[in-house]
Amino acid sequence: MVGVLIRMRLRVLRHGLRGSARAAPFLVGSVFGLVGGLFTAVVLAVGGPGGAAGESLAIGTDVAAALLAAWTLGWVVGPVLLSGSDETLQPEHFRLLPIGPRRLAGGLLVSAVVGVPPLVSLVAFAGLVVRGATLGVGPLVVALVVVPLQLALVLALSRVVVGALGAVLRSRRGRDLGVLLAAGTALLIVPAQYAVKAIAPILVERRSPGFVAVLRALPSGWAPVAVEAAARADWWRVVGAVGGLAALVAVLAWAWSALLVRRMTTPPSATGPTRAGRKGAAAGGGLWALVPATPVGAVAAKEVRTWWRDARRRSVLVPGLVLGLALPALPAVLEDDRGHLGVGVLAYAPLFVIFISTMNTGNLYGFDGTALWHTLVQPAAAGADVRGRQLAWLVYVAPVAVVAAFALPALSGQTGAYPWLLSLVPALLGGGSGVLAVMSVFAAYPVPVQRSNPFAAGGMPGCSKALLQVAISLLMLVVALPEVALVAAGSVVDSAALRWLATPVGVGVGLLSAWAFGRIAVRRLEERGPELLAAVRPR
Amino acid sequence: MDVTREAAGAQEGVRAEGAEDAGGVPALRLSGLVKAFDGRTAVDRVSLAVPRGSFFGLVGPNGAGKTTTLSMAVGLLRPDAGRAHILGADVWADPARAKELVGVLPDGLTLPERLTGRELLTYTGLLRGLPPDTVARRTEELLAVLELAEADRTLVVDYSAGMRKKIGLATALLHAPKLLVLDEPFEAVDPVSAATIRTILRRFVDSGGAVVLSSHVMTLVEQLCDHVAVIAGGRVVASGPVELVRGGQSLEAAFVHLVGGRTGGAEGLSWLAS
Repeated sequence: MVGVLIRMRLRVLRHGLRGSARAAPFLVGSVFGLVGGLFTAVVLAVGGPGGAAGESLAIGTDVAAALLAAWTLGWVVGPVLLSGSDETLQPEHFRLLPIGPRRLAGGLLVSAVVGVPPLVSLVAFAGLVVRGATLGVGPLVVALVVVPLQLALVLALSRVVVGALGAVLRSRRGRDLGVLLAAGTALLIVPAQYAVKAIAPILVERRSPGFVAVLRALPSGWAPVAVEAAARADWWRVVGAVGGLAALVAVLAWAWSALLVRRMTTPPSATGPTRAGRKGAAAGGGLWALVPATPVGAVAAKEVRTWWRDARRRSVLVPGLVLGLALPALPAVLEDDRGHLGVGVLAYAPLFVIFISTMNTGNLYGFDGTALWHTLVQPAAAGADVRGRQLAWLVYVAPVAVVAAFALPALSGQTGAYPWLLSLVPALLGGGSGVLAVMSVFAAYPVPVQRSNPFAAGGMPGCSKALLQVAISLLMLVVALPEVALVAAGSVVDSAALRWLATPVGVGVGLLSAWAFGRIAVRRLEERGPELLAAVRPR
Repeated sequence: MDVTREAAGAQEGVRAEGAEDAGGVPALRLSGLVKAFDGRTAVDRVSLAVPRGSFFGLVGPNGAGKTTTLSMAVGLLRPDAGRAHILGADVWADPARAKELVGVLPDGLTLPERLTGRELLTYTGLLRGLPPDTVARRTEELLAVLELAEADRTLVVDYSAGMRKKIGLATALLHAPKLLVLDEPFEAVDPVSAATIRTILRRFVDSGGAVVLSSHVMTLVEQLCDHVAVIAGGRVVASGPVELVRGGQSLEAAFVHLVGGRTGGAEGLSWLAS
């Protein structure tokens, strides 16, 4: 059976590579993976920097344990972050065949070794074999045993984690959770970069014995520990590490087969339907009472609800709001000792909020997919649709930006930022809501149907659409020019009146640009509605 | 060939009836619609006239161009050539007027998913510019008649396929259109709901409205519709009153004959015998 499964995987892989459009990202990814694998292999083989024999041996093991921990983490986090776990062969495909789930689990697990990521990982881990060979015959033999075990460990662990998550994620509410989880993981990348910078000296200079001990004690560290123990002829430790690794792989394989049984025998939507509100949804709900009963009001209320209820929408809006505030704050906190940026950028966070929120959400019709038909069949609804969407976006972004614009300069003691912020924030809010509409109509791209893969959150705009988005975003600079010019001129001639004149100008520019850019989007939607519908239809 | 004669006869029937019709303006007139995707012609000069007060069925094999035709008829897909008129209003030249007169239920397209049924109908009504009290009253009635009232707090994204069809039909009916264009309205709908929808559509036609629906269930079209058009390979191969098109045989037999199909399944598979 394993042979059939492997042939199936290879065939599916080959079909997936038809045409250069699909093959190119695959090849680029493979090359990058291979470079990373070779780099790891070299570091594993060389070990740490030279020094006293015993110390160099220990440092090499520490570095190896850290690298292997990183690879293992990658196997767990990668599927959550990227296009989902390896579902080339889905267990459901075999549901109707008379094969027991345990046997199927074994077969799928073994066939999972075929593929580029496992191959790249094997290349990386093979560095341990080279290191074993330099240390002697005993370590070499141990390395030859632990490297396949290490590969089996990451494969099985990745399957179990994604399988366990998948069991949760198969209901719609769970999928919404998964989207947020992926967005949240993406947010961790920035702090992670700072963490990596900090780790290297800890390892090489042996600053933190506790941290190193944890790295070695983690299952990902058992393979290098076994090799090191063999070099020291500490055979009990070798047996313990190798036996532990093997036992862990067995437990994970068993756990995965148990998850597989559950996946194949329970219906996809285990949890009940989501309720829209706890109570009082009758009589139109509270929100309708707040907005005027006009077409624009109806669209705005629908959009406010959709931003709140659709995890995919939330996952593009919330990071903008959080990241916008966090990005300037991070250097403020972390680079304090060098004093490069320090607190300086913090006050300008509201501008980041507006800019990132505009860029992230500029695919409104793509998020809604083919629901655009509903607007297209209404008479003269394009105007109401665009204006309502602009308003709903402002409902979420404007309060955060405005409150931050008033609070942050005061909190960071940079009151000099007020003329800049109070003129630029209204201008960019208006401009952003307009740019958002223009981008959504002119550079719309399809977003995959959420049913297919819980982790496929965003969809990719493609090269030409991405360039178009960048080009449209330049409109934000145009909007910012008058205010910047006024405040800068006011600073040069030292005129408070000129500096504060920028604020009413900013408000005016904001209103004007929201109206004018929105008008462009309305025209386009009126004239090219069916083409937009075709552009956002998932393929 | 008797097929072409039959088709020609059917066309005459339509024309004769169209002339008799009050005012002479058909509920829906398609003239010479053409649409090609990547060089492959999906719809090839389709012309149809749907008389007022008629129940019009559009049938054809999978991929015949039914959905493409209906999308072009209601303004969701721009034709490469040809015109579409809804009660005399040109869909592409005077879209606002045409869209006031028509209610649409497409197949396989999403709705604003994160609203409850009630919120969706309220949103639709207000977007159409209907007075709020009218919207509230009609929403209440539609939810009750279509038996969606108890799903009041369920989001459309969590609706079953049948419920989606029903809420989609409700949004199409909300503004009291004169013409309904429904793409596969009975797909995945349970028998009880299907009977409800049939009754609603029947009443709509009896009170002077016109319905165009596509389907590949021949018996349904035969029972429900008084007019039918058969589309195959992007062309209309026959159209007219159901009696004329089927010509004494069942609609299903006439259909297979018209589309030049041959019912397979008689050869091979000898090993299936137990």
